[in-house]
Amino acid sequence: MLPRIKDLVEVLYNEIPAGVGSKGKIRLGPDEERRLLTKGARWAVENGFGEEADIERIESGGMIEGADPSLISAKAYERGRAQQGTLGSGNHFLEIQYVDEIYDEGAANSLGLFEGQMTVMIHTGSRGFGHQVCTDFLEVMERAASKYRIELYDRELACAPFNSPEAQDYLGAMRCAANYAWANRQCIMHWTREALMKTLHSSPGALGLSLIYDVAHNIAKVEDHVVGGIRKKLVVHRKGATRAFPPGHPELPVIYRHTGQPVLIPGDMGRASFVLLGTEKAMQETFGSTCHGAGRVMSRHQAIRKAKGRSIWREMQDKGIIVRSAGRGTLAEEMSEAYKDISDVVDVVHKAGISKKVARLRPLGVVKG
Amino acid sequence: MNRYELIDISGDAGVRAFGKDLGDLFLNAAAGMYSLITDPESVTPRKSLEIKAAGESPEGLLVSWLNELIFHFDAYGFIGKEIRIHELHDTLLRATVTGEDFDSERHGGGLLIKAATYHKLKIERREDHWEADVIFDI
Repeated sequence: MLPRIKDLVEVLYNEIPAGVGSKGKIRLGPDEERRLLTKGARWAVENGFGEEADIERIESGGMIEGADPSLISAKAYERGRAQQGTLGSGNHFLEIQYVDEIYDEGAANSLGLFEGQMTVMIHTGSRGFGHQVCTDFLEVMERAASKYRIELYDRELACAPFNSPEAQDYLGAMRCAANYAWANRQCIMHWTREALMKTLHSSPGALGLSLIYDVAHNIAKVEDHVVGGIRKKLVVHRKGATRAFPPGHPELPVIYRHTGQPVLIPGDMGRASFVLLGTEKAMQETFGSTCHGAGRVMSRHQAIRKAKGRSIWREMQDKGIIVRSAGRGTLAEEMSEAYKDISDVVDVVHKAGISKKVARLRPLGVVKG
Repeated sequence: MNRYELIDISGDAGVRAFGKDLGDLFLNAAAGMYSLITDPESVTPRKSLEIKAAGESPEGLLVSWLNELIFHFDAYGFIGKEIRIHELHDTLLRATVTGEDFDSERHGGGLLIKAATYHKLKIERREDHWEADVIFDI
């Protein structure tokens, strides 16, 4: 496999639109975009992007109920029209990795992971569509905050009471964005499968290309949690956090009911990423949540200054990692030193018991925006 | 006086714009934002766009103006170079932006800006000039 990584990265880079100003291969008419906003990853599968079996391995079945396309502005429709099936830029990526260490043999087995196995990790979201929804509703929420006399520490934290019409409208629109994101990752995964088949001259069955899990890390959900011994319905907003539900949780699909929810924690492009499982302790202590990534130690500009005169691309190649990037600055901003060491971060959540380590994945090839 | 400088902030990017008056300030904030996307020298003024923005305060108007430009970049690939402001009150702005269609070959991608935010947003009148800070969601 190793000698073919370079070809594979090249094919993936050509097949999956990435970077500033890139346009997708999918053009959505208004009716089609509305269908997508309601059906999420199901829309993708119905349109030939992926398989029915993928759906149960996506949080909320890849389609959150209560998405209301009538709440979406004309601008958001416009931004969403050509961005379905695009990776984006910044910290978004597509990585070819291999399983380099197993921490829990039984759990790894249940997830279908084994040492030396190749994996692919995709990090992207609702693209310009979701950002426009955010921009539109920030204005609404700013007015709402003053209407409901909420004093704000920072204007960006504008909010409204959950049962207010403003908040309910936002929720209906945000759910459209969540569905847009699940469809987006589903389409990109589909093209990744095609690229792998093309490069390796094989079939998905023979390659064992099945989805492990797809989980959001920027979403608000209404969930049942026990607070002070009483079961309550809460709005849990995971921003920079990932859901980590324990074994037996009713929202998990049958295949993962006994293991707990798979948790994916990407690190920087030069070090590692991790697969973990959700735990009961996460339910008790962190509303069923864990961390979602390494976190930066350097601002983008600091990183760019530090990378001046260096070839990050070559440094990565010397480490055995093939990188292809659309933007000139992206690699500098995203270099390893700009981030905390993911292994330290993951050890913290593992030791705290809010998710448990299953496997470490090392990067081989990276596509960045 | 520089037209703008970049603000260092972990995870995101910001612009501090300067201007002799409010119009100049809005114009320079937009120029600073475009400089995050690509090298302004690489952009040629080929076509024009009429932009209208509204906000409930000068700060809100600044965010709304920049988000309008981000929308035209993200939805249609339009990147501006020259800006003429025709009308500017505390809550309304009308401008013509001249630029071209973004071409990743010629323009070389910098940052993909998702939105202008209200985070740490400020507009201040100094003795002889105006200053504004805007943080962008990247």
